[in-house]
Amino acid sequence: MKPNEDSPADDETTTRVRLPETVKVDKTVNLPGIGFCVTPDENPSTILLGMSDFAIHRLDFDAEKPESRPISEARHQSYVTGIVRSGKTAVSGGYDGALIWWNLETGEIIRQVDAAHAKWIRMLALSPDGTRVASVADDMRTKLWDIESGQLIADWGDYQLKTPHGYPSMLYAVAFSPDGHWLATGDKTGQVLVRDPADGTVAARLETPVMYTWDPKARNHSIGGIRSLAFSADAKTLAIGGMGKVGNIDHLEGVSRIEIFEWESQSKLHEIEDPKYKGLVEALRFGPGDQWLVAAGGDHGGFVSVYNLADGKLAAQEKVGNHVHDFTLAPDGESLITVGHHQAVSVLL
Amino acid sequence: MNSDTPIADDISPPRPAAASGSAPTSPRPTVRPIGFSRRGFLTASAAGVTASLAADMSAIQGLRGEAIASELKRQDKRVILLWLAGGASQFETWDPKPGTKTGGPFRAIPTNVAGIHISELLPELAQRMQHTAIIRSLNTKIADHGTAAELMECGRRNDPGIRYPDIGAVVARELGRLESKVPDYVSLYTSTEGRRKGTSGFLGARYSPMFLSDSMTPANILRPDSISATEHQDRAALRDALAKRFTAESHHLAVDSHQSAYQRVQGLMASADLFDVEREPESMRARYGPTQFGEQCLIARRLVEAGVPFVKVARAWWDSHGQNFETHQELCADLDHCMSALLDDLDERGLLENTLVITLGEFGRTPGINASLGRDHFASAWSCSLSGMGIRGGVAYGKTDEEGHKVVEGEANAGDLFATILEALGIDHEHEYMLGARPIPLSDFGSKPIREVLA
Amino acid sequence: MCRLVEPPSLLPAIPAMRTCRFVVILWIGILCGLSSPDRSVTRAEELLSASSDLPEAVDHYVQERLDRYGIEPAPIADWQTVLRRTSLDLAGRIPTAAEYEWAERLPESDRRLAIVEHLMSLSDFDFHLRNSLDELLLANNPHNGEFRDYLLWAVRSRRPWDQIFRDLMAASSTDGPEKGAVHFLRSRVRQLDDLTNDTAILFFGVNVACAKCHDHPLVDQWQQDHFYGMQAFFSRTFMTRRNVITERPFGSVKFKSTAGEEKTASFTFLTGAAAEDKSPSFSDDERKRLEEQLRKMEQNENTGYVLFPDFSPRRELVELALQDAEDRFFAKNIVNRTWQRLMGLGLVDPPDQMHAANPPSHPELMDWLTRDLVEHRYDLRRLVRGIVLSDAYARSSRWASSDTPPSPSTFALAATKPLTPRQLATSLLVAARAPQTDPLDANSDASPWGRLRNDLENQAGGWVREFEYPTDPFQVAVDEALFFSNNERVQNDLLRDANDWLVGRLKATESDEELIRTLWIHVLTRQPDDEELATAQAWLSRDSTERFDSIRSLTWALLAGPEARFNR
Repeated sequence: MKPNEDSPADDETTTRVRLPETVKVDKTVNLPGIGFCVTPDENPSTILLGMSDFAIHRLDFDAEKPESRPISEARHQSYVTGIVRSGKTAVSGGYDGALIWWNLETGEIIRQVDAAHAKWIRMLALSPDGTRVASVADDMRTKLWDIESGQLIADWGDYQLKTPHGYPSMLYAVAFSPDGHWLATGDKTGQVLVRDPADGTVAARLETPVMYTWDPKARNHSIGGIRSLAFSADAKTLAIGGMGKVGNIDHLEGVSRIEIFEWESQSKLHEIEDPKYKGLVEALRFGPGDQWLVAAGGDHGGFVSVYNLADGKLAAQEKVGNHVHDFTLAPDGESLITVGHHQAVSVLL
Repeated sequence: MNSDTPIADDISPPRPAAASGSAPTSPRPTVRPIGFSRRGFLTASAAGVTASLAADMSAIQGLRGEAIASELKRQDKRVILLWLAGGASQFETWDPKPGTKTGGPFRAIPTNVAGIHISELLPELAQRMQHTAIIRSLNTKIADHGTAAELMECGRRNDPGIRYPDIGAVVARELGRLESKVPDYVSLYTSTEGRRKGTSGFLGARYSPMFLSDSMTPANILRPDSISATEHQDRAALRDALAKRFTAESHHLAVDSHQSAYQRVQGLMASADLFDVEREPESMRARYGPTQFGEQCLIARRLVEAGVPFVKVARAWWDSHGQNFETHQELCADLDHCMSALLDDLDERGLLENTLVITLGEFGRTPGINASLGRDHFASAWSCSLSGMGIRGGVAYGKTDEEGHKVVEGEANAGDLFATILEALGIDHEHEYMLGARPIPLSDFGSKPIREVLA
Repeated sequence: MCRLVEPPSLLPAIPAMRTCRFVVILWIGILCGLSSPDRSVTRAEELLSASSDLPEAVDHYVQERLDRYGIEPAPIADWQTVLRRTSLDLAGRIPTAAEYEWAERLPESDRRLAIVEHLMSLSDFDFHLRNSLDELLLANNPHNGEFRDYLLWAVRSRRPWDQIFRDLMAASSTDGPEKGAVHFLRSRVRQLDDLTNDTAILFFGVNVACAKCHDHPLVDQWQQDHFYGMQAFFSRTFMTRRNVITERPFGSVKFKSTAGEEKTASFTFLTGAAAEDKSPSFSDDERKRLEEQLRKMEQNENTGYVLFPDFSPRRELVELALQDAEDRFFAKNIVNRTWQRLMGLGLVDPPDQMHAANPPSHPELMDWLTRDLVEHRYDLRRLVRGIVLSDAYARSSRWASSDTPPSPSTFALAATKPLTPRQLATSLLVAARAPQTDPLDANSDASPWGRLRNDLENQAGGWVREFEYPTDPFQVAVDEALFFSNNERVQNDLLRDANDWLVGRLKATESDEELIRTLWIHVLTRQPDDEELATAQAWLSRDSTERFDSIRSLTWALLAGPEARFNR
């Protein structure tokens, strides 16, 4: 999940406006599996992760010997691909189509909705006020849930179930705007919808067809899609992450790709492709003050890149361990923690 | 059908007695122009040519000459090979390992045969397991695309100096009927990656596949615009008439095969429609779905229905080094739906009982999941399926260990699979071709059919 | 080609005995206890004198067998057939109309010799010999431009066969005309088994593949040791990242014998003669350092150096093969393959089974030709010339009697040979172009014919993939018939409506009979018979069709006919 909980929610937060000049790996912790999603716990050095062992883990980077451990015996029945936290409650979603509410103090399950989606849940996003969680899944539905009651509040099904080529589509990404007024979703074929979560009205449709990566000739399939979304603090700008044109779709060898829109007018501000670090852009966050953007992802290897929003140019970049699936950015914009293939890494900006 | 004393079969077709005996000694006919009107020309020459060619063709056709062979050929047996090029994952298809370290995110679902579970990515096929036997215990060792494809297509590696025929060529030879007006081995492979035409090896070009890649219209099957239909037919008849002198005087099987190749042209041209799915009702096309693989499965059904003994439909490219799960969500959905539609359609038409559907690639994929969420090449413990003719449906044969690293029960190699396929078709897998002085059994030395999956 | 009926005395009934999964076929040779390689039957001193004329020797030995079986061979073919056959075999194409007319005027007694000498003087001969060697040596990967350039240079400069073998095995990467020879090894270097077997098959006529896993099931004399002994010569060969072929200074082939014993193969030729490993011994450190260098050469594009060790196992193989005065595998193989190419069937058949259990149909002839080849410095031209000047070569391919024709291995009648893709393509183009330039005026590559022939050679390259290379047994694919029937290239190129092309010239011919005769000569190198003439005249006088369309169709009917497809 790519929630916006990292963005400064209140005005007192020190807003970092300095553009990071370096990306520096601080500490690498091995994970007992693949970390797919992350959210900060109450203690900022501790993270909650959704893992390939079907469990929610907790990992404290400040511990003497940091170790990732399940918070509970209870688990999903498949990979955990979305997690958000609101106070002492976490909600997770997985490939089993289930949403689980967790009591973070006891590790007990508060609530479980087994068939929250008919297919694999890909990402969760928390509303800035912490009262709602949005889920997207390969049933191509976007659902809105009440954190407190677990009630399904809304269920939008306005994506095509199949790609233009007749294959099952996938709904990978979801993000709330920091003001809570907008909810963006993005699918495999590069379709972005920005809607008002209050009534579901679609305010804008954006298209990023390059990210689909459909190969009609050599291999007759695709592996791309929109994998990450992030709104700027002022909610005017939307960043969309995925992979660019790829020659051999057996591998994640396309350039990583970001498209940045002034979404209301549907004008594209930047189109960023990074030939150095290839693969998918799995997660995006705006830095404090909307001056810069952090992107992370990778092919076999992982990367973290910082882009200057003034010109769309690369400001700083580093290889970060294995493929990164998600990261959480500290509110001060000074550091972040990535999770990915058998690794979690703390990074200084 | 399985004889205890395999019969050696010289792959040189026997010389037609009728063709060789008559011509050289027959007295020169009186000189007479063959008709002046177009109709006259056609009737006079074409009739005679056709009669003598029928003899030639049946002679070339007389590949085995035995009663068994003709019985086989009369049964109109057919094979459709769904070739999962690039290597599909056994975990995401026939041999799921949910909840294990290697199992990936997908669940196993029950099928309509109690006790057999397959990946949740194949929900439609799960309801059709009564037709299908799964083999979960292939250990074929070779894990590079080219060599592995050769191995799985031919049931053995090429030996230096010997190019083996692939399964399509063997079936074409064993089951094909030369008098048939349709091709006997059609191979469809549209994607460019890993594209392989198929090979008739030492059986020779006669059994090479009619290969369709970029276009679903076979090469050179349509009359060129520059010549009218009548002229096209008439000049073919003229060719036949003028060929007679040479053919009659020669004592050469290759010359006969030249003649019979031309004899098949008009028939094949007439079969062009078989490749045109537009000729199917909209409802039938909808059943197979809009994908290229769906259309080609429908073409395969049209072909076997018209009597083509072997059709290969390649679905490329499964080589999921990156994003294995995304790839399989896409491709398994394609396989699940199209193969189900094909099985239903064959079944409803009464064709499934004499059509064997093979679902196979060159290898499977690693238990380990790499950092790109991919699975790499793996040939030590993987799966395939056989459905329809000669197969005991509802069987899952063989077993891999808990995380799918190795075969623990019923290990089978490429030769065993080849032998199984041949036996399912009622072809003795120990039958031998004589290549010069070399006896070459249809399936590799030492291979054994998997009796448990045979009906 | 397959044997139709074998002459009675040559053929044992083949008792087929089943052991395990192999059929063991026993020939008389084995029953007589001949277990040594084929040094059978005749000693050199019993052969016809070495000074005999080569064609005479051929006819002497072929006739001797025919007499023994009491077979009356087919008569010498008519001159048109001989011209066409010889032209296809020597020039790789059918004769032009000018050559036809020239040959017609030659006195009968001189005709065959004059035809052979004419054809061998043309650039056509070099092209065709080059193409034949290319098809033989790069069978699975033909049409490599550099390799073909090398072969053409070798043929033109009359490089002897043993020298060509040296070039191919040396695989030198230095600039020079020999450079392209590297492709023989390069195309196989990734598969040690192919390198081993193809070399054994193509240069020594021996297929040891079955001896890899066990001693050969059919041939006593081929054992695992032979396979791995041959393999040892290639086991150190590798290609650097920059595509240079070289050898490691150490390394050996280990194998497990059928008895389960671990063995190390020595550098052993098929005769059992072995080469000593003269590589220096290396200390562990030296070896480690060398291995690192070798690894770099193999994997790093930027490695500028290549090591060429002083001791080269491949060179040892060449020496052992050429020193083999007893079994003469190397010389016999090329004699056999040349004979097979020209006569349609090898003296030893199949040509990769030269061993005691599969003796030549004419052992003395094999010995005589082998001796002649070695004594004349492996001159392939001499061998080719000698064979095509023999009566055995010039016989009719028709068997007039109503009896079943005798076995092809008696050479009592000429073989009917499918054209190779290049022969067919070039012949179609020669027929379609109806060249006005006269090969008889060609005295250099720069002559008009030399230039045209060069063009034809290049154009033929664009057609060859439409046809299958003939294998044995060969059956024409239906694809070919469809290609001829429907491909626009046939219609637009071969039947092109241009004044100086065949169809255009026929169009300008007013008399039907003259037109038909011209067509037959251009395409089939002969006059039509009465029935053909009548049929063609009837065809041209159809009311319903434009004359030009009829001419095109008639031309097509001949080009697509069997007589244009085969050499008989």
